[in-house]
Amino acid sequence: MLEGILEILIKIVVVLGIPLGALPIIIHVERRGAGFIQRRLGPNRVGPFGLLQPLADVAKFMFKEEVHPTHVRPFFYTAAPLIALVVALLPLACIPLFGTFEFDGRTIYPEVFRSDMGIFYAFAVSALGSYGILLAGWASNNKYTMLGALRACAQMVSYELSLSTAIVAMIFVFGTNDIHGIVGAQTGYWFGFLPKWGIFVQPVAGMLFLVGIFAESNRLPFDLAEGESEIVAGYHLEYSSMKFAIFFMAEYIHMLALSALFIIFFFGGYSLLPGLDLIPTDNAFILPLLQAVSFITKIAIMVWVFVWVRWTLPRFRYDQLMDLGWKRLLPLGLVNLIVTVLFVYFRNQ
Amino acid sequence: MEFLSFIIFLTIATVLGLVLMFISNILGQKVKIVRKNDVYESGVNPVGSATRQYDIKFYVTAIMFLLFDVEIVFLLPWALAYNNAIDKGFLIAGFAFFITVLLVGYIFVINSKALQWEE
Repeated sequence: MLEGILEILIKIVVVLGIPLGALPIIIHVERRGAGFIQRRLGPNRVGPFGLLQPLADVAKFMFKEEVHPTHVRPFFYTAAPLIALVVALLPLACIPLFGTFEFDGRTIYPEVFRSDMGIFYAFAVSALGSYGILLAGWASNNKYTMLGALRACAQMVSYELSLSTAIVAMIFVFGTNDIHGIVGAQTGYWFGFLPKWGIFVQPVAGMLFLVGIFAESNRLPFDLAEGESEIVAGYHLEYSSMKFAIFFMAEYIHMLALSALFIIFFFGGYSLLPGLDLIPTDNAFILPLLQAVSFITKIAIMVWVFVWVRWTLPRFRYDQLMDLGWKRLLPLGLVNLIVTVLFVYFRNQ
Repeated sequence: MEFLSFIIFLTIATVLGLVLMFISNILGQKVKIVRKNDVYESGVNPVGSATRQYDIKFYVTAIMFLLFDVEIVFLLPWALAYNNAIDKGFLIAGFAFFITVLLVGYIFVINSKALQWEE
Protein backbone atom coordinates (compact mmCIF):
# COMPACT_ATOMS: atom_id res chain seq x y z
CA MET A 1 0.00 0.00 0.00
CA LEU A 2 2.73 2.44 1.05
CA GLU A 3 4.82 1.35 -1.90
CA GLY A 4 1.84 1.91 -4.19
CA ILE A 5 1.33 5.46 -2.89
CA LEU A 6 5.06 6.15 -3.31
CA GLU A 7 4.83 4.96 -6.91
CA ILE A 8 1.84 7.24 -7.52
CA LEU A 9 3.68 10.21 -6.03
CA ILE A 10 6.75 9.60 -8.22
CA LYS A 11 4.54 9.41 -11.29
CA ILE A 12 2.73 12.63 -10.32
CA VAL A 13 6.04 14.46 -9.87
CA VAL A 14 7.16 13.32 -13.33
CA VAL A 15 3.81 14.03 -15.00
CA LEU A 16 3.49 17.50 -13.48
CA GLY A 17 7.20 18.29 -13.59
CA ILE A 18 7.78 17.72 -17.29
CA PRO A 19 5.08 20.13 -18.59
CA LEU A 20 5.68 22.75 -15.92
CA GLY A 21 9.43 22.55 -16.49
CA ALA A 22 8.99 22.69 -20.25
CA LEU A 23 6.69 25.71 -20.02
CA PRO A 24 9.43 28.39 -19.77
CA ILE A 25 11.29 26.69 -22.63
CA ILE A 26 8.14 26.68 -24.79
CA ILE A 27 7.50 30.34 -24.11
CA HIS A 28 11.12 31.12 -24.91
CA VAL A 29 10.95 29.11 -28.15
CA GLU A 30 7.78 30.97 -29.04
CA ARG A 31 9.35 34.40 -28.53
CA ARG A 32 12.62 33.53 -30.21
CA GLY A 33 10.66 31.83 -33.01
CA ALA A 34 8.63 34.99 -33.46
CA GLY A 35 11.89 36.91 -33.75
CA PHE A 36 13.27 34.36 -36.22
CA ILE A 37 10.17 34.47 -38.44
CA GLN A 38 9.88 38.24 -38.36
CA ARG A 39 13.62 38.73 -38.97
CA ARG A 40 14.37 40.37 -35.64
CA LEU A 41 16.28 39.16 -32.61
CA GLY A 42 13.70 38.43 -29.94
CA PRO A 43 14.71 38.27 -26.26
CA ASN A 44 18.49 37.70 -26.19
CA ARG A 45 19.79 39.85 -23.32
CA VAL A 46 19.16 37.83 -20.15
CA GLY A 47 21.65 34.99 -19.95
CA PRO A 48 23.15 33.11 -22.90
CA PHE A 49 20.83 33.41 -25.96
CA GLY A 50 18.26 34.97 -23.62
CA LEU A 51 17.64 31.59 -22.00
CA LEU A 52 17.12 33.10 -18.57
CA GLN A 53 14.41 35.46 -19.82
CA PRO A 54 11.50 33.13 -18.76
CA LEU A 55 12.93 32.94 -15.23
CA ALA A 56 13.14 36.72 -15.08
CA ASP A 57 9.52 36.88 -16.26
CA VAL A 58 8.38 34.48 -13.54
CA ALA A 59 10.23 36.48 -10.87
CA LYS A 60 8.63 39.66 -12.15
CA PHE A 61 5.15 38.09 -12.11
CA MET A 62 5.64 37.00 -8.50
CA PHE A 63 6.68 40.42 -7.26
CA LYS A 64 3.96 42.33 -9.09
CA GLU A 65 1.17 43.91 -7.14
CA GLU A 66 -2.03 41.95 -7.08
CA VAL A 67 -4.89 44.31 -7.86
CA HIS A 68 -8.20 43.39 -6.26
CA PRO A 69 -10.90 45.15 -8.28
CA THR A 70 -13.87 46.22 -6.18
CA HIS A 71 -16.57 45.39 -8.70
CA VAL A 72 -15.85 41.66 -9.14
CA ARG A 73 -17.67 38.68 -7.64
CA PRO A 74 -14.88 37.77 -5.21
CA PHE A 75 -15.36 34.04 -4.78
CA PHE A 76 -15.68 33.19 -8.45
CA TYR A 77 -13.04 35.74 -9.40
CA THR A 78 -10.52 33.87 -7.23
CA ALA A 79 -11.79 30.42 -8.18
CA ALA A 80 -11.59 30.95 -11.96
CA PRO A 81 -7.78 30.82 -12.38
CA LEU A 82 -7.60 27.84 -10.06
CA ILE A 83 -10.24 25.97 -12.08
CA ALA A 84 -8.49 26.86 -15.33
CA LEU A 85 -5.14 25.51 -14.11
CA VAL A 86 -6.44 22.34 -12.43
CA VAL A 87 -8.60 21.47 -15.43
CA ALA A 88 -5.64 22.00 -17.76
CA LEU A 89 -3.47 19.71 -15.63
CA LEU A 90 -6.04 16.90 -15.25
CA PRO A 91 -5.76 15.34 -18.75
CA LEU A 92 -2.04 14.78 -18.18
CA ALA A 93 -2.91 12.13 -15.58
CA CYS A 94 -3.74 9.52 -18.20
CA ILE A 95 -1.29 10.33 -21.00
CA PRO A 96 1.42 7.65 -21.08
CA LEU A 97 4.93 8.86 -21.78
CA PHE A 98 6.12 5.33 -22.60
CA GLY A 99 4.71 1.82 -22.84
CA THR A 100 4.19 -0.59 -19.97
CA PHE A 101 7.27 -2.65 -19.11
CA GLU A 102 8.29 -5.43 -16.76
CA PHE A 103 10.66 -4.58 -13.95
CA ASP A 104 11.55 -6.67 -10.90
CA GLY A 105 8.69 -9.04 -11.67
CA ARG A 106 6.12 -6.24 -11.70
CA THR A 107 4.40 -4.49 -14.57
CA ILE A 108 5.07 -0.74 -14.48
CA TYR A 109 2.35 1.47 -15.91
CA PRO A 110 3.42 4.95 -17.02
CA GLU A 111 0.18 6.84 -16.45
CA VAL A 112 -0.96 8.17 -13.08
CA PHE A 113 -4.63 7.40 -13.60
CA ARG A 114 -4.83 4.07 -15.39
CA SER A 115 -8.20 3.37 -16.92
CA ASP A 116 -9.43 1.65 -20.06
CA MET A 117 -11.51 4.79 -20.62
CA GLY A 118 -8.41 6.99 -20.45
CA ILE A 119 -8.96 8.64 -23.80
CA PHE A 120 -12.56 9.61 -22.95
CA TYR A 121 -11.44 10.90 -19.56
CA ALA A 122 -8.78 13.08 -21.21
CA PHE A 123 -11.25 14.63 -23.64
CA ALA A 124 -13.92 15.06 -20.99
CA VAL A 125 -11.70 16.97 -18.60
CA SER A 126 -10.00 19.01 -21.31
CA ALA A 127 -13.45 20.11 -22.49
CA LEU A 128 -14.02 21.52 -19.01
CA GLY A 129 -11.47 24.21 -19.90
CA SER A 130 -14.26 26.46 -21.12
CA TYR A 131 -15.64 26.68 -17.55
CA GLY A 132 -12.55 28.45 -16.25
CA ILE A 133 -12.73 30.94 -19.09
CA LEU A 134 -16.47 31.58 -18.81
CA LEU A 135 -16.26 31.93 -15.03
CA ALA A 136 -13.34 34.36 -15.27
CA GLY A 137 -15.16 36.53 -17.79
CA TRP A 138 -18.42 36.57 -15.87
CA ALA A 139 -16.93 37.02 -12.40
CA SER A 140 -14.79 39.96 -13.53
CA ASN A 141 -18.02 41.90 -14.10
CA ASN A 142 -16.60 43.87 -16.98
CA LYS A 143 -18.03 44.23 -20.48
CA TYR A 144 -14.79 43.34 -22.23
CA THR A 145 -14.22 40.21 -20.17
CA MET A 146 -17.83 39.10 -20.56
CA LEU A 147 -17.68 39.45 -24.34
CA GLY A 148 -14.26 37.83 -24.50
CA ALA A 149 -15.40 34.87 -22.41
CA LEU A 150 -18.56 34.38 -24.49
CA ARG A 151 -16.57 34.49 -27.70
CA ALA A 152 -13.89 32.11 -26.44
CA CYS A 153 -16.48 29.69 -25.08
CA ALA A 154 -18.66 29.67 -28.21
CA GLN A 155 -15.55 29.07 -30.30
CA MET A 156 -14.31 26.23 -28.09
CA VAL A 157 -17.62 24.36 -28.06
CA SER A 158 -18.10 24.81 -31.82
CA TYR A 159 -14.77 23.28 -32.73
CA GLU A 160 -15.20 20.53 -30.17
CA LEU A 161 -17.87 19.03 -32.44
CA SER A 162 -15.62 18.51 -35.46
CA LEU A 163 -12.87 17.32 -33.12
CA SER A 164 -15.26 14.75 -31.65
CA THR A 165 -16.23 13.44 -35.09
CA ALA A 166 -12.52 12.92 -35.78
CA ILE A 167 -12.21 10.97 -32.51
CA VAL A 168 -15.19 8.76 -33.39
CA ALA A 169 -13.63 7.98 -36.78
CA MET A 170 -10.26 7.14 -35.21
CA ILE A 171 -11.76 4.93 -32.50
CA PHE A 172 -13.78 3.18 -35.18
CA VAL A 173 -10.66 2.54 -37.25
CA PHE A 174 -8.52 1.31 -34.34
CA GLY A 175 -11.39 -0.61 -32.75
CA THR A 176 -10.20 0.16 -29.23
CA ASN A 177 -10.28 3.01 -26.74
CA ASP A 178 -7.24 1.89 -24.80
CA ILE A 179 -4.34 4.32 -25.33
CA HIS A 180 -1.78 1.51 -25.34
CA GLY A 181 -3.91 -0.37 -27.88
CA ILE A 182 -4.12 2.71 -30.11
CA VAL A 183 -0.37 3.23 -29.95
CA GLY A 184 0.25 -0.49 -30.46
CA ALA A 185 -1.86 -0.42 -33.64
CA GLN A 186 0.41 2.31 -34.99
CA THR A 187 3.71 0.53 -34.31
CA GLY A 188 5.48 -0.90 -37.34
CA TYR A 189 5.79 -0.04 -41.00
CA TRP A 190 3.87 -0.37 -44.24
CA PHE A 191 5.97 -1.47 -47.25
CA GLY A 192 8.98 -1.45 -44.93
CA PHE A 193 9.39 2.32 -44.69
CA LEU A 194 6.10 4.17 -44.09
CA PRO A 195 5.22 4.29 -40.35
CA LYS A 196 1.75 2.95 -39.56
CA TRP A 197 0.63 6.31 -38.20
CA GLY A 198 -3.03 7.26 -38.01
CA ILE A 199 -2.49 10.32 -40.16
CA PHE A 200 -1.92 8.07 -43.20
CA VAL A 201 -5.12 6.14 -42.47
CA GLN A 202 -7.35 9.13 -41.71
CA PRO A 203 -5.83 12.32 -43.17
CA VAL A 204 -9.16 14.19 -43.07
CA ALA A 205 -9.72 13.33 -39.41
CA GLY A 206 -6.15 14.43 -38.73
CA MET A 207 -6.80 17.80 -40.34
CA LEU A 208 -10.04 18.25 -38.37
CA PHE A 209 -8.29 17.36 -35.15
CA LEU A 210 -5.40 19.74 -35.83
CA VAL A 211 -7.74 22.65 -36.57
CA GLY A 212 -9.76 21.65 -33.51
CA ILE A 213 -6.80 21.84 -31.13
CA PHE A 214 -5.81 25.24 -32.49
CA ALA A 215 -9.32 26.51 -31.79
CA GLU A 216 -9.62 24.72 -28.44
CA SER A 217 -6.43 26.26 -27.10
CA ASN A 218 -7.40 29.72 -28.40
CA ARG A 219 -4.25 30.03 -30.49
CA LEU A 220 -3.78 32.08 -33.62
CA PRO A 221 -5.37 32.04 -36.18
CA PHE A 222 -8.30 31.36 -33.81
CA ASP A 223 -7.43 33.71 -30.94
CA LEU A 224 -10.72 35.59 -31.17
CA ALA A 225 -10.94 35.50 -27.36
CA GLU A 226 -8.77 38.59 -27.39
CA GLY A 227 -8.68 41.54 -29.72
CA GLU A 228 -6.61 44.64 -29.07
CA SER A 229 -9.02 47.05 -30.70
CA GLU A 230 -12.35 45.58 -29.52
CA ILE A 231 -12.09 43.78 -26.19
CA VAL A 232 -8.41 44.34 -25.25
CA ALA A 233 -7.18 41.14 -23.56
CA GLY A 234 -10.51 39.31 -23.39
CA TYR A 235 -11.53 37.17 -20.44
CA HIS A 236 -8.42 37.70 -18.26
CA LEU A 237 -8.44 41.48 -18.53
CA GLU A 238 -9.08 42.13 -14.83
CA TYR A 239 -6.44 39.68 -13.60
CA SER A 240 -3.00 40.81 -12.58
CA SER A 241 0.33 39.36 -11.43
CA MET A 242 0.35 35.60 -10.75
CA LYS A 243 -3.36 35.15 -11.47
CA PHE A 244 -2.78 36.36 -15.01
CA ALA A 245 0.27 34.09 -15.24
CA ILE A 246 -1.89 31.13 -14.20
CA PHE A 247 -4.25 31.72 -17.13
CA PHE A 248 -1.23 31.94 -19.38
CA MET A 249 0.16 28.67 -18.00
CA ALA A 250 -3.21 26.94 -18.24
CA GLU A 251 -3.47 27.89 -21.91
CA TYR A 252 -0.05 26.44 -22.71
CA ILE A 253 -0.60 23.26 -20.68
CA HIS A 254 -3.96 22.77 -22.40
CA MET A 255 -2.15 23.14 -25.70
CA LEU A 256 0.47 20.57 -24.66
CA ALA A 257 -2.13 18.06 -23.49
CA LEU A 258 -4.13 18.36 -26.71
CA SER A 259 -0.92 18.04 -28.76
CA ALA A 260 -0.10 14.86 -26.85
CA LEU A 261 -3.56 13.46 -27.66
CA PHE A 262 -3.15 14.45 -31.31
CA ILE A 263 0.17 12.60 -31.42
CA ILE A 264 -1.34 9.55 -29.72
CA PHE A 265 -4.07 9.35 -32.35
CA PHE A 266 -2.23 10.41 -35.49
CA PHE A 267 1.53 10.13 -35.03
CA GLY A 268 1.89 6.92 -33.10
CA GLY A 269 2.16 8.33 -29.57
CA TYR A 270 5.21 6.87 -27.86
CA SER A 271 5.95 4.40 -30.69
CA LEU A 272 9.57 4.75 -31.73
CA LEU A 273 10.60 7.28 -34.32
CA PRO A 274 11.92 5.78 -37.56
CA GLY A 275 15.59 4.94 -36.96
CA LEU A 276 15.40 4.62 -33.18
CA ASP A 277 14.09 1.04 -33.48
CA LEU A 278 17.51 -0.06 -34.79
CA ILE A 279 19.02 0.44 -31.31
CA PRO A 280 19.21 -2.92 -29.46
CA THR A 281 17.03 -3.01 -26.33
CA ASP A 282 18.88 -5.51 -24.14
CA ASN A 283 18.43 -3.49 -20.93
CA ALA A 284 14.87 -3.26 -19.56
CA PHE A 285 15.07 0.54 -19.28
CA ILE A 286 16.29 1.31 -22.80
CA LEU A 287 12.95 0.79 -24.56
CA PRO A 288 10.89 3.07 -22.23
CA LEU A 289 13.64 5.67 -22.45
CA LEU A 290 13.61 5.59 -26.26
CA GLN A 291 9.81 5.72 -26.24
CA ALA A 292 9.83 8.78 -23.98
CA VAL A 293 12.42 10.44 -26.23
CA SER A 294 10.28 9.72 -29.30
CA PHE A 295 7.12 11.08 -27.66
CA ILE A 296 8.81 14.24 -26.39
CA THR A 297 10.44 14.84 -29.79
CA LYS A 298 7.06 14.57 -31.49
CA ILE A 299 5.50 17.00 -29.01
CA ALA A 300 8.40 19.41 -29.50
CA ILE A 301 7.79 19.36 -33.26
CA MET A 302 4.09 20.02 -32.58
CA VAL A 303 4.99 23.01 -30.40
CA TRP A 304 7.11 24.40 -33.20
CA VAL A 305 4.15 23.94 -35.58
CA PHE A 306 2.03 25.99 -33.17
CA VAL A 307 4.62 28.80 -33.21
CA TRP A 308 5.05 28.57 -36.96
CA VAL A 309 1.31 28.80 -37.64
CA ARG A 310 0.92 31.65 -35.18
CA TRP A 311 3.31 33.89 -37.10
CA THR A 312 2.26 32.75 -40.57
CA LEU A 313 -1.54 32.89 -40.79
CA PRO A 314 -3.66 36.02 -40.28
CA ARG A 315 -6.63 35.92 -37.92
CA PHE A 316 -10.19 35.15 -38.91
CA ARG A 317 -13.19 37.38 -38.47
CA TYR A 318 -15.64 35.99 -35.90
CA ASP A 319 -18.42 35.09 -38.34
CA GLN A 320 -15.86 33.39 -40.60
CA LEU A 321 -14.65 31.39 -37.62
CA MET A 322 -18.13 30.19 -36.71
CA ASP A 323 -19.00 29.45 -40.35
CA LEU A 324 -15.81 27.41 -40.73
CA GLY A 325 -16.62 25.42 -37.60
CA TRP A 326 -20.30 24.77 -38.18
CA LYS A 327 -20.74 24.83 -41.94
CA ARG A 328 -17.45 23.38 -43.20
CA LEU A 329 -15.70 21.27 -40.58
CA LEU A 330 -18.72 19.63 -38.91
CA PRO A 331 -20.26 18.36 -42.22
CA LEU A 332 -16.76 17.35 -43.34
CA GLY A 333 -16.30 15.37 -40.13
CA LEU A 334 -19.67 13.63 -40.52
CA VAL A 335 -19.01 12.81 -44.19
CA ASN A 336 -15.57 11.49 -43.27
CA LEU A 337 -17.16 9.28 -40.63
CA ILE A 338 -19.78 7.94 -43.06
CA VAL A 339 -17.15 7.23 -45.74
CA THR A 340 -14.91 5.49 -43.21
CA VAL A 341 -17.73 3.32 -41.89
CA LEU A 342 -18.89 2.30 -45.37
CA PHE A 343 -15.32 1.62 -46.49
CA VAL A 344 -14.56 -0.61 -43.50
CA TYR A 345 -17.92 -2.42 -43.88
CA PHE A 346 -17.60 -3.17 -47.59
CA ARG A 347 -13.91 -4.07 -47.40
CA ASN A 348 -14.72 -6.83 -44.91
CA GLN A 349 -17.61 -8.19 -46.93
CA MET B 1 -6.31 2.15 -6.35
CA GLU B 2 -6.86 3.89 -9.66
CA PHE B 3 -9.29 6.37 -8.14
CA LEU B 4 -6.97 6.93 -5.20
CA SER B 5 -4.25 7.96 -7.64
CA PHE B 6 -6.71 10.27 -9.37
CA ILE B 7 -7.70 11.88 -6.08
CA ILE B 8 -4.04 12.37 -5.08
CA PHE B 9 -3.36 13.93 -8.50
CA LEU B 10 -6.35 16.27 -8.15
CA THR B 11 -5.25 17.30 -4.64
CA ILE B 12 -1.67 18.00 -5.68
CA ALA B 13 -2.81 19.98 -8.73
CA THR B 14 -5.17 22.06 -6.58
CA VAL B 15 -2.52 22.73 -3.95
CA LEU B 16 -0.08 23.74 -6.68
CA GLY B 17 -2.64 26.16 -8.07
CA LEU B 18 -3.38 27.63 -4.64
CA VAL B 19 0.32 28.13 -3.88
CA LEU B 20 0.85 29.87 -7.21
CA MET B 21 -2.22 32.04 -6.63
CA PHE B 22 -1.18 33.32 -3.24
CA ILE B 23 2.54 33.67 -3.91
CA SER B 24 2.18 37.12 -5.42
CA ASN B 25 -0.34 38.05 -2.76
CA ILE B 26 2.46 37.64 -0.21
CA LEU B 27 5.47 38.76 -2.24
CA GLY B 28 3.91 41.48 -4.37
CA GLN B 29 4.14 45.13 -3.44
CA LYS B 30 1.01 46.92 -2.27
CA VAL B 31 0.23 50.48 -3.31
CA LYS B 32 -3.16 51.78 -2.24
CA ILE B 33 -4.72 53.91 -4.94
CA VAL B 34 -8.50 53.81 -4.94
CA ARG B 35 -9.01 54.39 -8.66
CA LYS B 36 -6.77 51.43 -9.45
CA ASN B 37 -9.52 49.06 -8.38
CA ASP B 38 -12.10 50.47 -10.78
CA VAL B 39 -13.48 48.68 -13.81
CA TYR B 40 -10.91 48.63 -16.60
CA GLU B 41 -12.70 49.81 -19.71
CA SER B 42 -9.88 51.62 -21.49
CA GLY B 43 -9.94 54.58 -19.12
CA VAL B 44 -13.53 55.50 -19.89
CA ASN B 45 -16.02 55.63 -17.02
CA PRO B 46 -18.14 52.47 -17.32
CA VAL B 47 -21.76 52.85 -18.39
CA GLY B 48 -24.31 50.39 -17.07
CA SER B 49 -23.85 46.86 -15.80
CA ALA B 50 -21.60 44.30 -17.46
CA THR B 51 -24.08 41.44 -17.30
CA ARG B 52 -26.77 43.06 -19.36
CA GLN B 53 -28.37 41.46 -22.42
CA TYR B 54 -25.98 39.92 -24.90
CA ASP B 55 -26.42 38.45 -28.34
CA ILE B 56 -28.84 35.52 -28.61
CA LYS B 57 -26.46 33.81 -31.06
CA PHE B 58 -24.19 32.69 -28.22
CA TYR B 59 -27.16 31.07 -26.50
CA VAL B 60 -28.28 29.34 -29.71
CA THR B 61 -24.74 28.13 -30.35
CA ALA B 62 -24.58 26.63 -26.86
CA ILE B 63 -27.88 24.78 -27.35
CA MET B 64 -26.81 23.49 -30.77
CA PHE B 65 -23.54 22.32 -29.27
CA LEU B 66 -25.41 20.42 -26.59
CA LEU B 67 -27.61 18.67 -29.18
CA PHE B 68 -24.83 17.68 -31.56
CA ASP B 69 -22.34 16.76 -28.86
CA VAL B 70 -24.80 14.38 -27.23
CA GLU B 71 -25.39 12.75 -30.60
CA ILE B 72 -21.65 12.33 -31.15
CA VAL B 73 -21.32 10.88 -27.65
CA PHE B 74 -23.88 8.25 -28.71
CA LEU B 75 -21.63 7.37 -31.66
CA LEU B 76 -18.59 6.60 -29.49
CA PRO B 77 -19.91 3.38 -27.88
CA TRP B 78 -21.29 2.43 -31.30
CA ALA B 79 -17.80 2.70 -32.83
CA LEU B 80 -16.41 0.53 -30.03
CA ALA B 81 -19.19 -2.05 -30.27
CA TYR B 82 -18.84 -2.43 -34.03
CA ASN B 83 -15.59 -4.40 -33.92
CA ASN B 84 -16.92 -7.05 -31.55
CA ALA B 85 -20.34 -7.35 -33.17
CA ILE B 86 -21.28 -10.50 -35.11
CA ASP B 87 -24.15 -9.06 -37.15
CA LYS B 88 -22.36 -6.01 -38.54
CA GLY B 89 -25.10 -5.30 -41.08
CA PHE B 90 -27.55 -4.56 -38.27
CA LEU B 91 -25.15 -2.06 -36.71
CA ILE B 92 -24.58 -0.41 -40.09
CA ALA B 93 -28.36 -0.05 -40.55
CA GLY B 94 -28.64 1.53 -37.13
CA PHE B 95 -25.78 3.88 -37.95
CA ALA B 96 -27.44 4.85 -41.26
CA PHE B 97 -30.72 5.66 -39.51
CA PHE B 98 -29.01 7.62 -36.74
CA ILE B 99 -26.83 9.66 -39.08
CA THR B 100 -29.82 10.38 -41.36
CA VAL B 101 -31.75 11.83 -38.44
CA LEU B 102 -28.64 13.80 -37.44
CA LEU B 103 -28.17 15.18 -40.95
CA VAL B 104 -31.86 16.11 -41.30
CA GLY B 105 -31.59 18.00 -38.03
CA TYR B 106 -28.39 19.65 -39.18
CA ILE B 107 -29.91 20.78 -42.48
CA PHE B 108 -32.95 22.12 -40.61
CA VAL B 109 -30.69 24.11 -38.27
CA ILE B 110 -28.68 25.58 -41.14
CA ASN B 111 -31.81 26.41 -43.17
CA SER B 112 -33.51 28.11 -40.25
CA LYS B 113 -30.46 30.42 -40.06
CA ALA B 114 -29.88 29.55 -36.41
CA LEU B 115 -26.14 29.73 -36.91
CA GLN B 116 -26.05 32.74 -39.21
CA TRP B 117 -23.50 35.14 -37.76
CA GLU B 118 -23.47 37.77 -40.49
CA GLU B 119 -26.68 39.03 -42.11
